Amino acid sequence: MKALKIAKSPDDAIKELLSSLFENQKIKGVFSLFYDQDYFYGLVTDKELFNKLTPTAPVMPANGGKMLSRLTMIEPPAVPIAVVLKPCELRAFYELSKLEQANLENLIFISFVCAGVLSLKEIKNNIEEKVANANQKQGLRECCQLCENFVPENADLILPLIDGDNKTTIFIKTERGEELLQGIENNLVEEDFDSAKLSSIKEERSRYREKTWQNLKTENLGIPGLIDIFGRCINCHACGRACPICYCNLCYFDSADNDSGPRVYEAELERRGALRAPSGTIFYHIGRMIHVSLSCVGCGMCSDVCPVSIPVGTIFTRVAEETQRLFNYVPGRNLEEKIPISTFEIKEFEELGEA
Amino acid sequence: MKGKIIKNSDNINTKIREILESLISKQIFDAVFVPVRVPTGESFTYLLIKDKNILKDCIPLPPIMSVQGARAFKDLTRLGKLKYKILCVMRPCEIRAMIELSKLRQVTLEDVSFLSLDCPGVYQTADYIIEPEKYDKSFSSLLEKWEPEGLRPNCRVCNHFSNQEINSDLHIGFYDQSLILVPLTKKGEEIFTSLGFESTDDLADWENRKNELLRRREEIRNKTFTELHNQTNGMEGLENFFKGCINCHNCMRVCPICYCRQCFFESTDQLRRESEDYLIRTEKKGGIRFPVDRMLFHLGRMTHMSLSCVGCGVCEDGCPMDIPVGQIFNFIGDEVQKMFEYLPGRDKDEPIPVLTYKEDELHEYEDAQETK
Amino acid sequence: MEEQEFLPRIIGFLCNWCSYAGADLAGVSRLQMPPTLIPIRVMCSSRVDPLFILTALLRGADAVLVAGCHPGDCHYQYGNYYTRRRIALIKKVFDQLGLETDRLRLAWISASEGGRFRDVVTTFTQHIKEKGPNPIKKEIFL
Ligand code: SF4
Ligand code: SF4
Ligand code: SF4
Ligand code: SF4
Ligand code: SF4
Repeated sequence: MKALKIAKSPDDAIKELLSSLFENQKIKGVFSLFYDQDYFYGLVTDKELFNKLTPTAPVMPANGGKMLSRLTMIEPPAVPIAVVLKPCELRAFYELSKLEQANLENLIFISFVCAGVLSLKEIKNNIEEKVANANQKQGLRECCQLCENFVPENADLILPLIDGDNKTTIFIKTERGEELLQGIENNLVEEDFDSAKLSSIKEERSRYREKTWQNLKTENLGIPGLIDIFGRCINCHACGRACPICYCNLCYFDSADNDSGPRVYEAELERRGALRAPSGTIFYHIGRMIHVSLSCVGCGMCSDVCPVSIPVGTIFTRVAEETQRLFNYVPGRNLEEKIPISTFEIKEFEELGEA
Repeated sequence: MKGKIIKNSDNINTKIREILESLISKQIFDAVFVPVRVPTGESFTYLLIKDKNILKDCIPLPPIMSVQGARAFKDLTRLGKLKYKILCVMRPCEIRAMIELSKLRQVTLEDVSFLSLDCPGVYQTADYIIEPEKYDKSFSSLLEKWEPEGLRPNCRVCNHFSNQEINSDLHIGFYDQSLILVPLTKKGEEIFTSLGFESTDDLADWENRKNELLRRREEIRNKTFTELHNQTNGMEGLENFFKGCINCHNCMRVCPICYCRQCFFESTDQLRRESEDYLIRTEKKGGIRFPVDRMLFHLGRMTHMSLSCVGCGVCEDGCPMDIPVGQIFNFIGDEVQKMFEYLPGRDKDEPIPVLTYKEDELHEYEDAQETK
Repeated sequence: MEEQEFLPRIIGFLCNWCSYAGADLAGVSRLQMPPTLIPIRVMCSSRVDPLFILTALLRGADAVLVAGCHPGDCHYQYGNYYTRRRIALIKKVFDQLGLETDRLRLAWISASEGGRFRDVVTTFTQHIKEKGPNPIKKEIFL
């Protein structure tokens, strides 16, 4: 694989590369994580602001894939934009494009091997210091510790981020990536993407995942177990709003269709002796799982924004693992692959209708 | 003021529960809307309870406000009244939000009565969830000392923590190991009498303490508001104040007053825009953040609902980034409410100021009329 | 506790073109079956939103039957294949959360299969009777 070596830290290397692409008119803007008083996703077309880029910082204030879909929802940008996203954000963006919420044209994708992001709860009061001292184990989102898909697949350029101090290799994964660098970076080297170094991380993550699933045992939850986990849910729907896959402008669970009239509540009250308010929390969570689990990328945004600290993302990731396995589907893996419930095969699940 | 003083060495929740049980037994009410602990114990939720066996578990005055009572009640009556006589047992700011929501036609108050409680304040929900026992303990001493330390910032400056200017029917105050029952309306009077009480006791002690507390609260309130005013002056101050906000809109989503099914700031107009639109804005400034319009959201929300803001602080509690959003809304709410001499929740028949007008008012906000 | 025999309430989503007609035929032919099914006619089994099923079960229905035309016979050609995927998905989610998957059944019943309709209702009723009432009925903290 062709690669570009830059004797700088990953963020600085990305900045340098983007600047030269910009100067050579190959791109007209950058969509990435920035830092200016706080961390945020931004679209920047002024080169002066490139120094505020901080693409690999372990922070995810919003899912970048969701943010990028806002930009490209109706039409692709008229000019080429370089996009730097974390792997799960990129996968979310691909899912959103399958859901017709995003356009891929005119975007150049850069991604990197992701060590995980810090949970917002961990860093909310002291973000700068916590990011500066980020240690790859402490304060990470649980979903990141569980993540086995931390190596980006579908980007044009990828950075392994394991070179050590002030050395960065940028691998060129696609023809588009090569075209992009033509005439700009001439001293490309030929190098293998050394995935051996990554396998130990992957093993560690898999072990953690296995352990977490063992402790969780969602398959034994039942309604009482679900109430133990979601009982304190205040039905704010922040988890859905933060989720990249929940793209609906008006979520079903906020819509008039989901309102119940007094007769329903009366019947429920008579039957049960008491009625919870806010109502319908378990319905919301199981329903949302049915809606999103096939495309859930395990980013953990949902857990992070939950005001009552419910590990939403962990549960969703667990269920998603199984539903995705059922259809042998990996969200964001391949753009040609349809989301399983939007297609079918004639011969499958035949045990279901016959019994 | 006269009322009934009930000596009580028990936990106050136990005593209030007895009163509620007797109201159900006597069929004064068919159902009670009151908080209970969730099965795992680390938080609370509201229940509308008809069955007396379930009523046994209620905690009328929990140490947190994980969900605003008015917002919870809205779920049940948004499409029309239930066929029951319901008693809502709530904190003062929750009742005030209920009154505002009724003006906004999101809850119906028909056949709904209110029992308000003296509120010493609440802790932050997220903290409580981690160490419920610790906060349960400090909450019981809070009821004796009424010290504001450790409470949510909005509770520390609250000046409507008791029966001050509230559209409630019956009030229960706490003082010196006693419950103080005060009927506030005719309906309240009826409930009170049906319980076999008479307004014979002199409540001066309770009232004096209440007024002393209020005086101290007002002091803190003024000081805090002055600080907030200085901090948030001008765009730069505001930007700085909201530094760290991820624009998730959760403050809106948990606020009892923000009732819209689909918030303007999440509407198609706002969220489904051409990329050209974004690019033009980006070109002008060099860059834009996503989600866009963070300040527009906060300032816009203020213009939408600050007249009805009851200062409950639930928004701040629900903010994943600990932005002091409840404090600024409380402060701005206070300012705009003073301007119209309006107090949310004071009187259900008092219209929200922007839904009415007077011909002769607010001339200082218009150009001087030219003399002919 | 009530000593009365437990008679399950099964919500049945029946597609207009096959299963509803099959049910009709069973009725016209006076086939004997337990009075447990509350039929809801839908134009196609794929009209059944997963949330319909979830609502029924959480509100206390003892079981849900989704019935449509046999694969290949769908009036809209492929509707029932989508249905099958959805049911597979719902059952997987239920399974992974420890919820009872056998309170949900998918059956293909054509317009001429009055007998099959009777069999499905009878066996399903028997199965749910053995399981007992849906425990969600009495749950408060939903
Ligand atoms: S459900 Fe949670 S973890 Fe899954 S994609 Fe949505 S926000 Fe990310
Ligand atoms: S929960 Fe379902 S309806 Fe709601 S936003 Fe997500 S996908 Fe859409
Ligand atoms: S964010 Fe948390 S409290 Fe809000 S709906 Fe989701 S799980 Fe419930
Ligand atoms: S803005 Fe905040 S303080 Fe005001 S009513 Fe809403 S949640 Fe309460
Ligand atoms: S103030 Fe807090 S809750 Fe409101 S939008 Fe900002 S981060 Fe979200």
